[in-house]
Amino acid sequence: MNIKTLAISVVGIAALAAFPLVFHNPYYIHLAETILIYAILLFGLDIVVGYTGQVSLGHAGLFGIGSYTTGVLWLKFGVPFFIAAPASIAVTALFGALLALPALRVTGPYLAMVTLAFGTIIQILINEMTDLTAGPLGIKVPKPAFFGHKVTEVEFFYLVAVMMVLSLIVVHRILKSHLGRAFEALRDSPIACDCMGVSVYRYKVYAFVISAALAGLAGSLYAYSEEYISPNTYNFEVTILFLLAVIMGGRKTRSGALVGALIVVMLPSLLADIDLFRKIATTAAVIAVISAAVLLVSKRKRVQELLVPVVATVGMAAFSYKLENIVDWRLTIFGLMTLFVVYYLQDGIIGFLRSALGRTGRATAEGADVVATGAAAQDWVASEQASATSTNLLSAKQILMQFGGLKALNQVDLHIVKGSVHGLIGPNGSGKSTMMNVLTGIYKPTAGTVEFNGAVISGMTPSAIALGGIARTFQNVQLFGEMTATENVLVGLHNTFKSNIVDVMLHTPRYLREERTARERAASILHFAGLSPLAEEEARNLPYGKQRVLEIGRALGLNPKLLLLDEPAAGLTAPDIKELMAIIRKIREHGITIILIEHHMDVVMSISDTVTVLDFGQKIAEGKPAAVQADPKVIEAYLGGSAGDAAPVAVTTPT
Amino acid sequence: MEILLQLAFSGIALGMIYAVIAFGYQLTFATSGTLNFGQGEALMLGALVGLSLVSNIHGGPYLNYWLMIPVVMVFGGLQGAFVEWIGVRPALKIKSEFGWIMSTIALAIIFKNVAENIWGKDDLTFPTPLTATPFQVFGANVQWMQVVVIIGAIAMMVAVEIFNRKSIYGKAVVATSNDRDAAGLMGINTSMVITFSYALSSATAAFAGVLVAPLTLTGSTMGTALGLKAFSVAIIGGLTSGMGVIVGGLIIGLAETMTGFYISTGYKEVPGLVLLLLVLAIKPAGLFGKAAIKKV
Repeated sequence: MNIKTLAISVVGIAALAAFPLVFHNPYYIHLAETILIYAILLFGLDIVVGYTGQVSLGHAGLFGIGSYTTGVLWLKFGVPFFIAAPASIAVTALFGALLALPALRVTGPYLAMVTLAFGTIIQILINEMTDLTAGPLGIKVPKPAFFGHKVTEVEFFYLVAVMMVLSLIVVHRILKSHLGRAFEALRDSPIACDCMGVSVYRYKVYAFVISAALAGLAGSLYAYSEEYISPNTYNFEVTILFLLAVIMGGRKTRSGALVGALIVVMLPSLLADIDLFRKIATTAAVIAVISAAVLLVSKRKRVQELLVPVVATVGMAAFSYKLENIVDWRLTIFGLMTLFVVYYLQDGIIGFLRSALGRTGRATAEGADVVATGAAAQDWVASEQASATSTNLLSAKQILMQFGGLKALNQVDLHIVKGSVHGLIGPNGSGKSTMMNVLTGIYKPTAGTVEFNGAVISGMTPSAIALGGIARTFQNVQLFGEMTATENVLVGLHNTFKSNIVDVMLHTPRYLREERTARERAASILHFAGLSPLAEEEARNLPYGKQRVLEIGRALGLNPKLLLLDEPAAGLTAPDIKELMAIIRKIREHGITIILIEHHMDVVMSISDTVTVLDFGQKIAEGKPAAVQADPKVIEAYLGGSAGDAAPVAVTTPT
Repeated sequence: MEILLQLAFSGIALGMIYAVIAFGYQLTFATSGTLNFGQGEALMLGALVGLSLVSNIHGGPYLNYWLMIPVVMVFGGLQGAFVEWIGVRPALKIKSEFGWIMSTIALAIIFKNVAENIWGKDDLTFPTPLTATPFQVFGANVQWMQVVVIIGAIAMMVAVEIFNRKSIYGKAVVATSNDRDAAGLMGINTSMVITFSYALSSATAAFAGVLVAPLTLTGSTMGTALGLKAFSVAIIGGLTSGMGVIVGGLIIGLAETMTGFYISTGYKEVPGLVLLLLVLAIKPAGLFGKAAIKKV
């Protein structure tokens, strides 16, 4: 923790502690309490929305489950706080897992609807199960009592504040750990995530469960804070309010969640006062007009782009003077705010401030202290693998892959000798990439088996195969765009972590040691790939050639026995290709077997020990590069016509 | 037995309404891969605008029920085009899934709130254009309006299908749904096609609104539940299958009326939503949909 974070934390905690001393009005204390409770929920929602990139419309339902677990336990059994609150967390987490089950198989709009349906069902159940929940009547929940002492509003405020700070620390630690990196990775590229041995399914469930647990805690505290709960509190509008808070505050930041909570809790009070609203709307319109003018003059935006927001804000200001009763139009204003934030403030207030102040979202200091030392630089391969009994590391036998009537692979055999570089070539559409996908488990072959290191792997999940020692890169780069180069490699190193979530929350020595080791290895891998100067750069900002190399580096993090490179030289410039070939050779010297798909014949022919040629899903030739190059069938496949017509000019060996 | 038959009739009528709204989801999903989360609100606005035209709440009546339908559909079309313009087009431009989900939800909230302010929060009765006296089929009472709903819903879907298959404009729509980029390269104005699909989708929803309004109460809150259940229908049937939405609509319509009668009206929404969760957990492409092959 550096000085600045420490200072902010101390100031923050002091402000929380001083708040009830400065404001004695119970209404303000209650308001602040609500903000803190919302913040707890938003930390959790941000895990799902900001990190894993899924839209959840079910968080009001989870919030409700948290409240009602506490409420019902109190109503039926008089259960005290220190049992009811953990029970709320546990029950809600369980529902989170339940919600994640259908959510596992779907994404995007489907997931949004699944969560919406979930939220609706929960509200209906709370309303209808009158025996348990007292239905629309609601439940009265008194403030908790400890050792016979019933806490006051101020004392409860402190309790909530402590819970908020604890949640903040826990969430922050989780998100900065290998778990948080897995969440981010599965958003940016689920397939790459699976192929790095990080099961997308499992981590989606984790994200939902952690998120739900926080919603449960927030729900429980909310029940005590309000002292009365009823089904209508947990409706669809509240869900949208939560989402608005997350995106308005700023995704992927804890401060954003706090700001968002502050805004959405204060919003109804602000909107209750028409004069205040008129002032705000007028100010917003003035700011919009001025900033639009500035942007126009500096030519950073065009008129068409600015028209909608300017007209909207000016219209809103004009509208505010016509309104008599603002409360009726609360939801409209709220909808307009959502629209505005979604399109013009995508990074939220915190993101906007950061970019305005010229700071990036990431602490660059973090991880930079890990520098590959001379010894470590050689040490990117963990250890030499034990040799298998057979010389064939991988054998694919009679692979048939059928899509409808199309046989993308037809009875193909492929044997990869341990320690070799095996080229796989063929014209476009010949089934090379399909073969890659079969080998890595993305496709399940229609018939045939794949054996790796003596065990059958066909039918296993991609992540299990990856953990077994097969790493790959992708034809179209599949990096985790919003993560830094170091973090990308760290996702590849995910398998080196044995720590569980408790280790992460408590920062046990085991976790700290594993994190340090992983960062050292990541640094040495980046050093090996020549990416050390770009270690803290976001992957999406890297030049294309570097992205390709980074993908290889990430795959090396898995410490693979077999590395599959799918067109690594595609789109690269000549100097980049040279660098790439040097890297491939070095990888091979470390005893890693390589399968190389490539269209650059000079690359394939100079590096490969064996070359297999596919055409229309069939193996048409296999052997030493020179022999394959001279094979009439290969020439025919590449140049068309009969073998006699064309001399082998297309394939040339480099100097 | 009569009761069962009667429930079946209302279930089928309800199911056809769901099918029409679900059909609207399919239209926009085909062309742009997006859905209007405010489809239910489009229906609600259609019904309320229709009510203003045929009753005396806003100085009317201006038109009779049958003449009102085309006017309402034009209104629905404009409303759909507006949603596409404000909420969907910017999101498509920046390729943000989160963007269009949130903005169509935000627009739905705005429409609902505006409707609340214009037509009030209470449910209104929609004058029925046909005699309210039911006729008997095997001893079960059937409303004439239910028959109109079933025929109207099927006619609407058939009309759109014929348009897509026979007319050159329809072919542009089909081409865009097959491959948006390729259609664009062939000179089809795909963003126009997407706007059109939204207009058509909201017009069908508005049409469904005026069909269902005489059978139920009309009000600003009528749309949300209908839209959500129609989404269940679209998912259960599959977002790509026209037959699927009819079957899905019937399944949910019947399940709902049966639950409402035999268990409790409070629970009538539940079977549809549970079916939605089950289908997504077991066969996400829907009962009639085709699973896509993921490409790497």
